[in-house]
Amino acid sequence: MKRHKANGHKPGAGRLQAAAMAAMTLAAAACSSVDCPVQNTVYTSYGLYKAGGERDTLRDTLTIATTRRDGTDSVLLNRSVNTTAFELPISYTDPEDTLFFTVGDTLGNVRIDTVYIKKDNYPHFESVDCNISFFHNITAVRWTRQSIDSIVVNKQHVDYDASTEHFHIYFKARR
Amino acid sequence: MTLRQNISTSISRLAVSAVLLVAALSAHGQGKLFAIAKDSVPLLNGFAVSFDVAGPVVLALSDYGEYEAAVRLNLHNQYFPIVEVGYGMAEHDDEVTSMYYKTEAPYFRVGCDLNLLKNKHSANRLYAGVRYAFTYYKVDISRPTFQDPVWGWDTGFSVSGDQCNQHWAEVVLGLDTRLWGPLHLGWSVRYKLRLAHKDSSAGNTWYVPGYGKYGDTRIGANFNVIIDI
Repeated sequence: MKRHKANGHKPGAGRLQAAAMAAMTLAAAACSSVDCPVQNTVYTSYGLYKAGGERDTLRDTLTIATTRRDGTDSVLLNRSVNTTAFELPISYTDPEDTLFFTVGDTLGNVRIDTVYIKKDNYPHFESVDCNISFFHNITAVRWTRQSIDSIVVNKQHVDYDASTEHFHIYFKARR
Repeated sequence: MTLRQNISTSISRLAVSAVLLVAALSAHGQGKLFAIAKDSVPLLNGFAVSFDVAGPVVLALSDYGEYEAAVRLNLHNQYFPIVEVGYGMAEHDDEVTSMYYKTEAPYFRVGCDLNLLKNKHSANRLYAGVRYAFTYYKVDISRPTFQDPVWGWDTGFSVSGDQCNQHWAEVVLGLDTRLWGPLHLGWSVRYKLRLAHKDSSAGNTWYVPGYGKYGDTRIGANFNVIIDI
């Protein structure tokens, strides 16, 4: 194929060559970064409400526990007082979590409720730099009624965003 | 908007602004950026093949990279329609998180470069261009069995051969210079903007062949060995 004569090397050519070499050096220097979101934990968020819809404060002591695989108890919330809201972990892959809510008043009365949270579990891959997470879709909740009146699922999807409460808990009227 | 998004947006604006600035300066100096000069150089003035050197170097130094070649038409030393074909691969087993990721697939780009120099027929070229690119790839992602930190149950995770795809656009700014005879060396900086994507069933992906690490935008660079034919 016919080739047309170029204009030859001019002063600018040296600069272009230097720039080309610099670019090769930069390209060879691979850079790395960690691609994990700052908020990368999965929690469920609970809010306490009165029957009228206003925020409730549980002045009694509230302890929440669950049973581990080896049969021992694991305390998730320890002796919380003046409770209006709290966050709890959720199991990675169990189809149903069982939580024990223990409410103790100043007179020494203790009432224990069991809450069953049924859910679907989805693994979530963010990056190789981050641990695997599990997101969830809450499908049902049931409970005993010693001190809890009712529980409403406010947000089904559980992921990194716990700013919207997943559950609204209505405790029975107290003195 | 997160800090990362803010930084990404700033880099995006900077890259686009730089390309527009160069184009504007060139147009101002020349007056006729898109006009084809009437001279002895024919419209179809040959073609060039090129090979990217940066991708294999990155692949040798890290867990991902690509092999890439291109065919570029030369229209009057001014317009350069181009097809780029590459094969990207990644295999990473993270020591900290124990996450394993593997993919390999071809990718394709088509586009056109515009020579911004006033003297179009110089041995050197400064050019800006655009690309449309896409890839269809499969990913394997897994993690060895581990215990739920609260409940203690064994938990596993693995996806294999998940079908993913991505389409993206690129704005390219680059230059090349003649070394000897038909041999040129050149580099290009690329601002990549993701247009559409289908990720793995487990959430995101990590490395996308030809695009780089997962994200809405990316900055990339090629270093090309170019042979005029």
